[in-house]
Amino acid sequence: MELFRLEHKKLWRKNTTRICVLLCFVYCVVFGSFLMYQWGTFGSRKDNMDGRNFDGYENIRKCQAYFSKYGELTDETLQEWVRDYQCLTAALKKEKETQGSENRETLQTYQNAGWETVNSMLRTLYPELEQEEMRYVMIMSCYVDPDKLTGLYERREKALHTFLDVSGQTGGEREYLLQINEKVQEPFSWKWVEGWSNVLGNLVSGLGIVIALFLAIVLSGLFAGEWHDNTSPLILTAKNGWRKLAVAKILTGLSFALELFAVVAVGTVVLQLVYLGTEGWDMPVQTIKMIAIAPMNMLQAEIYEFAFTMLGAVGFAGVVMLFSACCKNHVLALLLSLAVVFVPTAIHNNVPVRLAKALDLLPLVGSGADIFRTNTFHLFGHYIWSPYLLIWVPVLLGILSLPPAVRGWARRMRV
Amino acid sequence: MELSIDRLTKHYGRKIAVDCVSTILKPGMYGLLGENGAGKTTLMRMLCAILEPTSGEVFLDGREVSAMGADYRDLLGYLPQDFGYYPNYSAREFLLYMAALKGIPRDQAKKRVKELLEVVDLGSVETKKLRTFSGGMKQRVGIAQALLNHPQILILDEPTAGLDPKERVRFRNLISDYANDRIVILSTHIVSDIEAIADEVLLMRKGKLVSRGTVSELTKQAAGKVWELAVSPAEAARWQEKVAVANLRHEGEQVILRILSDNRPAEAAVCCEATLEDLYLQSFRE
Repeated sequence: MELFRLEHKKLWRKNTTRICVLLCFVYCVVFGSFLMYQWGTFGSRKDNMDGRNFDGYENIRKCQAYFSKYGELTDETLQEWVRDYQCLTAALKKEKETQGSENRETLQTYQNAGWETVNSMLRTLYPELEQEEMRYVMIMSCYVDPDKLTGLYERREKALHTFLDVSGQTGGEREYLLQINEKVQEPFSWKWVEGWSNVLGNLVSGLGIVIALFLAIVLSGLFAGEWHDNTSPLILTAKNGWRKLAVAKILTGLSFALELFAVVAVGTVVLQLVYLGTEGWDMPVQTIKMIAIAPMNMLQAEIYEFAFTMLGAVGFAGVVMLFSACCKNHVLALLLSLAVVFVPTAIHNNVPVRLAKALDLLPLVGSGADIFRTNTFHLFGHYIWSPYLLIWVPVLLGILSLPPAVRGWARRMRV
Repeated sequence: MELSIDRLTKHYGRKIAVDCVSTILKPGMYGLLGENGAGKTTLMRMLCAILEPTSGEVFLDGREVSAMGADYRDLLGYLPQDFGYYPNYSAREFLLYMAALKGIPRDQAKKRVKELLEVVDLGSVETKKLRTFSGGMKQRVGIAQALLNHPQILILDEPTAGLDPKERVRFRNLISDYANDRIVILSTHIVSDIEAIADEVLLMRKGKLVSRGTVSELTKQAAGKVWELAVSPAEAARWQEKVAVANLRHEGEQVILRILSDNRPAEAAVCCEATLEDLYLQSFRE
C-alpha cells in the first residue's frame, strides 16, 4: 500500500502528468462544456445572424421556458408546437414586410423554439409530408399541415420497422431488437430536448477520445520511464523488487485513469447542472432520435455514457500499461497506445462492417452514443445489442492486458 | 556469513566478460580493482543477482542467491555505476521511495532517511529536487539509498566517482566502520581509496581474478620492481618511450621518474617502496 501511495505520488509529481490533466480539463470542461453552453451552441444568434452572443445561460432558460407548456409528446402537443412555430414564422414575415426588419423579441422566441429535434422527428415519422419543391426549406415544420400530424406512436413503430428492413435486420435479430423496444414507455415526456441532445450526442460521448490521448501520454512512461531514469538496478536489488512495484504501478495506472475521468466528469456534470439544471432528465432518449430502441431516459442514458467512458478509460489504461511494460522506449509505447485508438477510428468507415464493429470493442474506440443505434453482435447463436458489449469488452480487454504487462515487465527487467 | 563465488562466468556473445571467477568473501572490506572492461561491473551485477551468469553460481552461507530471492535482496545494498534517480523527487522523497521498495516500514524509514541524510551531509538540502543536485551530491544520495536497509552485503560500484576529496574521506570513514561485521565490496579507479580502507584487494584482468590479498601482500609482488631515477628534462621523454613510467615530478633542474621495471633500469636508479598504484600499473602495463 505504501509503495502504491508513493508510486501514485511519483506519477502526479511529474510535470507531464500535471500539464496533461490541466489540458484535458481545459479542453473538455472549459472549451467542450463551458464555452459550448455559454456561447458556441446555446448563445443566442447575433442580430445579423453572424455568430452567437455570450448569453447561453439566459438563452437556455428561455428555451426551457418555451417548452414548459407541452409536458407530453402526443399528436395534440406536436400539432400545437407546429402551429405555434408557423405563427412565429408568419409573424416574423409580417414584421419584416411592415417594419422592414423582424421584431427582436419575436426573432428570439422563434430561435428558442428548438426546431432541430422536431424537424428530425417530422422527417422520420412523416416522410410523405416532406414536399419535394420545398426541400430547400430545411425546416419542414414551416410548411407541414399540423392537422396531418396524427398517429405519432404508431408511426414511430412503423418507422422503426422500415429502418430495420432497410438495414437488413430481419428474423431473430429484428425480434430481439423489437423486444428491447417494447420496454420503451409511451407517451413520452416532452420538454426542451436540444440541451440533452448536445450532452448525450456530442459532449459526453466525445470525452473518451480526449481522455485516451492524455492517458496515453501520461501512462506510456509508467513502466518504460524506469528505463529512461535508469533505475532498474535499484528496483531489482530491492526487497520488494519488480513484482510488488509492478502491482503498485498497475494500481497507480488504474487509479490515474479513474482520477482523470473524475476530473473531467465532475467538471462536465457541474456545468451541466449549472446551465441545464435537471429539467428533462425523465424524457426518453426517443425524443432525441425517434427510432432509438433504448428503454432509457436522459439521466439513464447519461449514466450509461459516463460509465462507458469510465470503463473504456480503465480498459485503455490497461492496454497502455501493457505497451509501457513491454517496450523499453517510452515514445514507442506512446505511439503504440495512440495507434490502438486513433488508427481504428481513422479507418472505421473504410473497412467492412463486421471489422468496424469488432474495432468498436477496443477501449475508447466505440461510442457511448450507440444507445441511439440498433447495432447488434451475433455471438454463439445469440444476438447482443451493441451497447451491452461496448461497455464491458473494453474494460475486460484492459484487465486481460495486466498479467502480460507484469510478465513483460519481468522479462524486460531480467538481463 | 560467507559469500561464495563458484566458477562464475558471463559471456556476451563471443566476448567473455567474466571468466570462471571463484573466491570466498567473509565479512570485511574488499576493493575490486581492474582496468576498464576488466569485468568488475559485470561481476558485481551477478553478485547482486540482477544479471544471470552464463555459468557458475553464487552462494550465501550455502544457499544459492538467485533462489533466495527477496531474502537475499533484503540483505543487499547496491550502488550501481550509473545511478538512476527520479529528477522531480527531493533527496528525502527519493530515499523514502527506495525505503518502501526495500520494504522498510514508513515510521522506521523516516528515521533512517533523516539519519542517512545527515551522514552523507545532505540534511540541509533534503527538500531540494534531485535534478538540481551536482554529480557528487547525487552520488551521496546513491550511497545513502544503498545503506537504507542496513545491508549485510554492500556492493558499491565506483562510489567515490564525482566526490570531492573531503567527501571521499568522509565516505571512506563511513564505510570502514560499516564493514566490521558485513561484506562490503567496492570497485573504484581511485587506488588510494582502496589502499586506505580495503582489508583485501581483488585484482581483475580480462574477466579473470588475477590476484587477491591485503594491500601489503599485493605490494610485495611489486617489491624490487619500482625505481626512482633523476634525469634531465631532455632525457625524461626518451625514458618514457623506453620504460613504464608510473610518475614524473620536477625537482629543481631535474626530473624524477618513477619507473616500473623487473630489472634496475640504470646504474643511478634507486629501488623504492612499492605502492598499490605501482602494482596496478605494473599489472595493466600493456
